Amino acid sequence: MNKLGVLEGILFAIGDEGVTLKSICEILDTTEEEAKNLLKNLQKRYESDAYGIRISFLGNTFKLTTKKEHKDYYQKLLGTSEAQSLSPSNLEVLAIVAYNEPITRLEIDNLRGVASGYIVRKLCARGLIKTVGKSEMPGRPNLYGITSEFLDYFGLATRDDLPKIEHPEEETKEETELFTSIYKDKEMLNEN
Amino acid sequence: MDNFTLTINDFSGPLDLLLHLIKESKMDIYSLKIEEITKQYIDYIDSMKKLNIDIASEYLVMASSLVHIKSKMLVNEKDNEEEPEDEGIQTEEELKRRLLEYEEYKKVCDDFKDLESKRQEVHTKIPESLYEYREDVKLNTDTTLDDLVKAFEEFLKRKKFEKPLDTKITHRELSITKRTGEIRNILKTRKRVDFFELFEVINKPYVVVTFLSILEMTKNNEINIKQSKNFDKITIEMK
Repeated sequence: MNKLGVLEGILFAIGDEGVTLKSICEILDTTEEEAKNLLKNLQKRYESDAYGIRISFLGNTFKLTTKKEHKDYYQKLLGTSEAQSLSPSNLEVLAIVAYNEPITRLEIDNLRGVASGYIVRKLCARGLIKTVGKSEMPGRPNLYGITSEFLDYFGLATRDDLPKIEHPEEETKEETELFTSIYKDKEMLNEN
Repeated sequence: MDNFTLTINDFSGPLDLLLHLIKESKMDIYSLKIEEITKQYIDYIDSMKKLNIDIASEYLVMASSLVHIKSKMLVNEKDNEEEPEDEGIQTEEELKRRLLEYEEYKKVCDDFKDLESKRQEVHTKIPESLYEYREDVKLNTDTTLDDLVKAFEEFLKRKKFEKPLDTKITHRELSITKRTGEIRNILKTRKRVDFFELFEVINKPYVVVTFLSILEMTKNNEINIKQSKNFDKITIEMK
């Protein structure tokens, strides 16, 4: 059986949930190397402008997305309504959580200088952040962290793709990665 | 600050408002003039009050912090070992540090905004329902098709008795005491008997009375009722 076809089917079926390299290996009974090669081959095929989809690595999983070159057509398809985007306050809370996770709501409030409980709850409900544990502080408040939906929402492959900020205590580590988000210009699958 | 194009609701908090005022007056956080910024901040809050816009308490806390810092600078007190309160910002350094920190997140929000809109240029689909491929949950009993057939046969047998029979209606009183005596006799001669064997005649009063008799005898500790597993034969024996 041609595993390339199976892989394509898997990616179609799984949709925006995405599939990890590990699951691909398990499902297709291949080594990681083979799985990567299959992904590369499929990726190469989709590069042709005769195809409307591509493989993206978002939120630590592989998934099919449409091509951004075709965005105008999708706009026509979906009507003129603007995509729902997050408010500045929401973005602020997300950014604070992303760079400080795990973090309590109180610490978020302090950084913003304003109460954030409602926004935190809303973002939790949207699945962009989640509770990742309890703090040892009095009252054992919830600790929050970002989710893979968060990464996907911003088109990021992994946490390492977060925009860099000048964080005094955090050293930036340089890493060359095989799979990157859709915004890195080079097609990473070909580079390797 | 002559025309207020931005209302307080456009800011996400007092730090946001402060940053905006600092930018407006082309100041630098490092060389922040507390006196000036405090005046602007309070003027702004006042102007909002004039417009009857509700002001969140956080903004007022910040205003009081600013005034507090300003007054301390005027008195030029040499840190009178003042008890640090945990509410609000106490010193100029702290204010600057908080502003710088906040500005950092504010800046990165623009990056996130870009990332968000770029991501919205491509589309994904929700996962397929793979329900039809799902393996059914296996029951961990060794039930076979034969059991099913048997169960259905039993059902049909019982069903037969439900058919109304052509009959003359005569009423015969059936007492539990009498039936109990009958069952006792059966058990005396046969020791062990199948539960369903006791229901020789199938009609409602007979079944009910027989069943009640069996229950009665069980209660009186006369008989044992045994069944080795679900839907198996039920046997009744004398104690």
